[in-house]
Amino acid sequence: MQDDPIRLAVEFFCDAGELVALVGPSGSGKTTILKAIAGLVKTRNGHIKVGSVEWFEVERGLDLEPQARRVGLVFQSYALFPHLTAEDNVAIAMQGDRARARDLLARVNLAGLEHRKPAALSGGQQQRVALARALARDPAVLLLDEPFSAVDQATRQTLYRELAALRRSLSLPIVLVTHDLFEARMLADRMVILDHGETMQSGTPAHVLSRPRNARVAKLLGITNHFSGVFRSAPVGETMGTLYWGPNGEGIALRTHDKRRLPDGQRVIWVIAGEYLGLQTTPGENGDTIECRLGDVLPLGEITQCKVRIAAAPSDTVTVNVPTRFIVDHRLVVSMPVWLHLDVAGIHIMPTRSVENARWSEPDR
Amino acid sequence: MDWEAGRSSFALAVVTAIVLIPFGILLARWLAFTQHRSKVIIEALTMLPLLLPPTVIDFYMLSVFGRGSPIGAWLDQVMGVQLVFTFEGFVFASMLINIPFMVQPLQRAFAAIPEDVREAAWVCGLSHWQTWWRVELPLAWPGLLAGIALTIAHTLGEFGVVLMVGGSIAGETKTLSIAIYDRVQSFDNAAAALMAVTLVAFSIVAIAVVLTTGAPSGRSREPSP
Repeated sequence: MQDDPIRLAVEFFCDAGELVALVGPSGSGKTTILKAIAGLVKTRNGHIKVGSVEWFEVERGLDLEPQARRVGLVFQSYALFPHLTAEDNVAIAMQGDRARARDLLARVNLAGLEHRKPAALSGGQQQRVALARALARDPAVLLLDEPFSAVDQATRQTLYRELAALRRSLSLPIVLVTHDLFEARMLADRMVILDHGETMQSGTPAHVLSRPRNARVAKLLGITNHFSGVFRSAPVGETMGTLYWGPNGEGIALRTHDKRRLPDGQRVIWVIAGEYLGLQTTPGENGDTIECRLGDVLPLGEITQCKVRIAAAPSDTVTVNVPTRFIVDHRLVVSMPVWLHLDVAGIHIMPTRSVENARWSEPDR
Repeated sequence: MDWEAGRSSFALAVVTAIVLIPFGILLARWLAFTQHRSKVIIEALTMLPLLLPPTVIDFYMLSVFGRGSPIGAWLDQVMGVQLVFTFEGFVFASMLINIPFMVQPLQRAFAAIPEDVREAAWVCGLSHWQTWWRVELPLAWPGLLAGIALTIAHTLGEFGVVLMVGGSIAGETKTLSIAIYDRVQSFDNAAAALMAVTLVAFSIVAIAVVLTTGAPSGRSREPSP
């Protein structure tokens, strides 16, 4: 329970059938937003409308009780009623209609476990009971508060698939709170990046991940390949500018499209998504590769995460994921020469401001 | 064995517990859930009977409710209620002294209910009353049982209140603990021993109830993997 007021400056929309993920570090206000939608947290200002029904509007003094809001909420800890069976946990939300409760439990693959109490169910089964209970009131919006954080990895994969399947049969807005980007990218139609109670950026996962709005978002998204550089505009009449790697532009030059948004000589932060990077053991024929030395190699099953140092500027390290087979086939070991293919189409440039530089170095809370 | 004293003892214990149940539930629930500043003071006040000798409480009761005091006179003349040397007054004093025994286990039981379980009930559409009846009370039930057992056992053993406020009137306010005292004073050790054994046996039963119901159900067990 928090006594201090939490500052929230968030606005987002979620259509029926759409899944919006609220993503941010702990303390960014994700759960508070869900609770405000459910009516469990009172906010001083704001406006919440679901479908055509206003739930909360300060100007009109409107503030529906949680009981009147028709939300389905899956709590992070599930918050099942420990003294009731799975069936009663669901039926209590539907005026004791046990037949429909059993139907719902069957729909989340819990047939046969209706008479177990929560303590006799596994974490994944408890999560399914919580989901069935959330759907019991025929909600106008479904809110999921880190619903996968308390189950093991194997169960999580199953639950992801089940949620994806369930979504297709429901046409209601779903808001998912998570700090797991992988989860957001896989499940969400749109994601909203939150930090300190503020919206930093929203958009499709693909867009946000490849085009973070600023350095802070890039850091929140855990983008490892972020670098400093200096941007030189394209000469008059040309479209390709030059990005010089390194804080003072002392490194290698990358030819990149000039959208005429940045002044000549602007210091920038730039990022590149993993799918625009590749490794090869020989130089490219067109001179479109960068000579590197292989640094740390971290096998992760099918893929291996490699860190490579730019030969011309060894302080710059790029993280590249390659098939583990590639490493084995070429008998690659640390400090061997490799060539980095960097597709300039994947380069995303953000101007550096002093504020963003400061925030970049801010530790995660 | 003084059967009359036994009956008075059990009557006092049971009536005290029954009267304390609604009051104890309201107070314990408020203490468990409130964020109000006065919580610390109220909580300290409910503990006071544990620390003060019963004679101190009785002294104040006699001073406040005796017929010589304005309140006592008003109660007697206007309401027709006498709280000194009557069964009603006896129950009232016993209730005051037993507040911590009823409230403490109940408060712990209510406080052990996770906040989000109550929130989940509201989101499920249960009114605050339904939430209390269908979620909070079943979860706090062991605390209530423990509170009742402790109150009854403690009242049976109470000596100071019954002597000072009750006045040891046979068939009304003379209880087992006073009867034991009387028997010992008149060298009737056999009768005293029988009554003492009765109280010991009952206390053991009460402690057994408290210990076996002390762990709230559903949370003490680990979920199976």
